[in-house]
Amino acid sequence: MAALRMSPARLAQSLRAAPISPAWKRTMASVVPPSQTSTITEPAPDKDAKIKTFQIYRWDPDQPTSKPRMQTYTLDLNKTGPMVLDALIRIKNEIDPTLTFRRSCREGICGSCAMNIDGVNTLACLCRIPTETSHQSKIYPLPHTYVVKDLVPDLTLFYKQYRSIKPYLQRDTPPPDGKENRQSRPDREKLDGLYECILCACCSTSCPSYWWNAEQYLGPAILLQSYRWIADSRDEKTAERYDALNNSMSLYRCHTILNCSRTCPKGLNPGLAIAEIKKGMAFA
Amino acid sequence: MAAIARPTIFHRACQAAAGRRMFSTTPSAPLMTSAFTTAKPLARRPLKAALLRDALPKAAAFHASGSQKILPPLPQVVKGTANDPVPVPSPHPTHGSYHWTFERLIAGGLVPLTIAPFVAGSLNPVMDATLCSLLIVHSHIGFEACIIDYFPDYRVPGLRTALMWILRIATVTVGVGLYEFETHDVGVTEAVKRIWKA
Amino acid sequence: MPRLSGLQRNVVSLYRQCLRACGKKPIETRDNFRRFVRNQFRENAAGIDKKDFAAIEYMIRKGQRQLEIYKDEGIRNVV
Repeated sequence: MAALRMSPARLAQSLRAAPISPAWKRTMASVVPPSQTSTITEPAPDKDAKIKTFQIYRWDPDQPTSKPRMQTYTLDLNKTGPMVLDALIRIKNEIDPTLTFRRSCREGICGSCAMNIDGVNTLACLCRIPTETSHQSKIYPLPHTYVVKDLVPDLTLFYKQYRSIKPYLQRDTPPPDGKENRQSRPDREKLDGLYECILCACCSTSCPSYWWNAEQYLGPAILLQSYRWIADSRDEKTAERYDALNNSMSLYRCHTILNCSRTCPKGLNPGLAIAEIKKGMAFA
Repeated sequence: MAAIARPTIFHRACQAAAGRRMFSTTPSAPLMTSAFTTAKPLARRPLKAALLRDALPKAAAFHASGSQKILPPLPQVVKGTANDPVPVPSPHPTHGSYHWTFERLIAGGLVPLTIAPFVAGSLNPVMDATLCSLLIVHSHIGFEACIIDYFPDYRVPGLRTALMWILRIATVTVGVGLYEFETHDVGVTEAVKRIWKA
Repeated sequence: MPRLSGLQRNVVSLYRQCLRACGKKPIETRDNFRRFVRNQFRENAAGIDKKDFAAIEYMIRKGQRQLEIYKDEGIRNVV
């Protein structure tokens, strides 16, 4: 109310003064908008070029005082492959070699190129470039991650959490025939939809619960992996695995928001896996 | 905060606004580009510039308030080396599986209890009392989950404890209030019925 | 000593961790490590405004990682 009674001059002053407080500086994670960065364009475009504009998040750790910015690139879609990863590789090869991103298999098996494309966490190699050229595609690193450089997120915590669920077969008894641990066909089928997970972190970084409590909540990807070992008929430490999750934070911060299942680039259902763990623990 | 990607929906809205505002980044609007090349984040700019911006789409004003994060993320802390697993907390079934089962039972029990009085068409003080107590427990658990979610122990331990106590006091107050309402007034079911018909 | 902010305390704690790690190095090269640590902190502090929290947070992160690597017993000397 006080602000309403202020004279315009005071108001202007307060508008200018208030946000300079350190709290404001901390909270305003401002990304320099593309209007303030130069556009890097396709070299020598054709006459009938299909020019598509990409806005890509850039941040250079070698200049830690610089703010992250959105860099605009234009590409001729006729000369570019169909996927966003093709576009990124082409930008790196032909336009701007300083652009940094992770990629490896370019066919959705390695999970390296997970990033936020047009607001959806997905693998760049599995995401087609939207063909309407009037619309600009925006590419960010995975949300709520610490950025190493440009589109490369720091997944240290993610991997540490993965390690904490002991993602390997645990058995005390040797296999009966002394050779290998056999599994019946129906038991093996229980692992379908679980073993395909490539740990790209798309689901975990799309989960609001994981955004707020990443330090304690394990997140959908890790819980799906945990369930993969709980559901495995050959694993004998199911009770221990349940015990490790049996606290208020590790598992039960899942509020079935189901962003994970929606975003999974491999079409898996981490939400269902978490529900199965909860069910298993309730009836254990 | 530069090092931390936070492309939240809000942020994207701002970005989208910025993109639209410039029509594109091609130099087709040189005048406007020059007007904003020196622009700092909007909220820091004097009123005059803010007014100038008003001629442009309204989303700009949305940006001017600045995004206020209630609990901005801390600098990254990696406990142990990168190759150590995160510590596994000791099992607490009362906070884990039992709590969850209890919560589901309460939530499930509320469904028939909400419908029953109206289907049966009769008022039963025992049923009313059960409904009230389940409602209280259900809302207590719900608010508790909110506090656990948004006020992490390791960030704001004091505030967390305070809020938990406020919640407990509120729950008890509501309980007492509902008891009074049931014993000295018409009771929950009857009240809903009357409001429904009013 | 003035009251330090959380971030300042993080920097000091990192510095202490570094010095403690120096103490575990072979006695003849210990001074090299100390000098290295001190120079790193000095150089980085010079370039960063003390209110540029994002940059400081990043430098702490980087420092932690560097410390983790340099802690290794295989590293016996720095120049």
